Amino acid sequence: MRRLPWLGIGLLLLMALAAALGPELWSQDAYRQNYARLYAAPSPENPLGTDNLGRDVLARVLLGGRISLGIALAATLGALALGLVGGLVSGGRGSVADLVLTRLSDALLAFPGFLLVLLVVVILGNGALQTIAALAISGTPLFFRLTRGYARSILATEYVTAAAALGATRARILPRHVLPNLFGPLLVQAASVCAAFLLVEASLSFLGLGVAPPTPTWGNVLQDARAMLTRQPWAALGPGLVLGITALGLQLVSDGLRDRFDPRAR
Amino acid sequence: MLRYLLSQSASLLITMLLVIAMVFFGMRLLPGDPAQIRAGLDATPQQVESTRRALGLDRPLAGQFVAYLGGLLQGDLGRSWRQNQPVTVIIASRLPVTLLLAGCAYLLSLLLGFGLGILAGSLPGSGWDRLVRGYTTVGLSFPEFWIAFLLILVFSVNLGWFPLLGYPADAPLPTRLMHLALPALTLALPRSAQLARLTRALLIGERTADYVRTARSKGLSVLAVTRHITVNTLPGTFPLAALELGGLLTGVIIAEQVFSLPGLGQLLLGAIGARDYAIVQGITLLAILVFTAVNWLADLAQAAADPRIRYS
Repeated sequence: MRRLPWLGIGLLLLMALAAALGPELWSQDAYRQNYARLYAAPSPENPLGTDNLGRDVLARVLLGGRISLGIALAATLGALALGLVGGLVSGGRGSVADLVLTRLSDALLAFPGFLLVLLVVVILGNGALQTIAALAISGTPLFFRLTRGYARSILATEYVTAAAALGATRARILPRHVLPNLFGPLLVQAASVCAAFLLVEASLSFLGLGVAPPTPTWGNVLQDARAMLTRQPWAALGPGLVLGITALGLQLVSDGLRDRFDPRAR
Repeated sequence: MLRYLLSQSASLLITMLLVIAMVFFGMRLLPGDPAQIRAGLDATPQQVESTRRALGLDRPLAGQFVAYLGGLLQGDLGRSWRQNQPVTVIIASRLPVTLLLAGCAYLLSLLLGFGLGILAGSLPGSGWDRLVRGYTTVGLSFPEFWIAFLLILVFSVNLGWFPLLGYPADAPLPTRLMHLALPALTLALPRSAQLARLTRALLIGERTADYVRTARSKGLSVLAVTRHITVNTLPGTFPLAALELGGLLTGVIIAEQVFSLPGLGQLLLGAIGARDYAIVQGITLLAILVFTAVNWLADLAQAAADPRIRYS
């Protein structure tokens, strides 16, 4: 069991490396269309075959990884930052700010599944930044509730009372006593939220609501492969496996961190 | 309990109002002038203005919102600008496919999720347990539409067990179910993985309880002990089971798109493409209403089934 998180970290490092260096090292261009080689099967020249416009699928997966991973990561960090700040400000104290933020978070959580992401993208329009914003908004309540819950229970502990009795202000208690205790749970949450964002981003692209083509994202590559699914299944299998393995790596890391930070959940 | 229910209902009402306001004003942020769209691109400014008045869009936003709320209370979701029909009528015409699909998917995910979770949770460390644990991790790592691709390739293309795409709305139920089998399985797999994971964890946590040791030491069979544990832990899965149903509400959009099923999801995507906002708004509110109601019921059911949970 202990080895699995390391497998996850290994998988993630591999994907990050491929996304960072792959587009520079692989000689084929992700945008160059070749009408003489539409729907080509895997070959030494195109290890993952070519797509509906004769573009090299491997080049598109490599560059798409950069964009998809970047979107998921940026959205996770955005949601984490917003949720953390909101949660610390509210602190579960029943103040006006707490009441307003909790209501807002409840309202956002009332949208089932990825409906909120879908609507925000429809309102903001297609694009990488819009997708990041939509994902970040939908993820914020998760981090907010986590932070608020922990902050609330930590603020009620005796050592915080003791610190306050010694004259520590809120501005000292929050970063020094509350924040360090939040690190583990937030990291666990962030890893699994990032995995979920990867899948949602791919689904958005699949529905034609993500980053607009011809920019490759993993979702766009899979969407391009859909039309020829029954005859050229490899065009969908390779990119899908890459996406799934990345999400799997994030899940394994999240599980490993959970075991590490919360021994009861084992 | 009654007091809890009342305060809970009040807070639910506030949340719902906030959500309705968010959706209503969010839709007004969208680019494009509905009056212009409705009147047609070659309409004169006078025609556009009269259309605007007819749609009530010339009134202040707050007034429009109040009128919309009033309509909602009477079950009126507005009219589609494109099809010139009440949104409720359009939604009702698409509802049967989506309901049948979501129902089948949900049933499948509960059966698979509880079945696998109980199997793994009552035999921790066994080969079965490892298998289920692998399934729960892998099942959550792939997008639904890609799982659908795999199912199509294996069961429709290679084995030919199920029809490829489409939905014969007038065919007898068994034929329609054959068309819904793969979409339902697509949606059920990731959800059952999540449910199995939680069920397993709850079961394993309960195994160390005193009454389990007593039951074992007095010689009860493994099956009987498992039954006791399961009955005691299942209420803990209700909230997740409700969340899963919420995920299904958007999952059907993907499944209907992959398998070309003429349901609510296709209606929503079409309405988004055509900027028919009354329909987008209507479907959104319906989904939120169902989701909120289900979550609320799950909480109540959990409290009713588990005497340790008492709301006050």
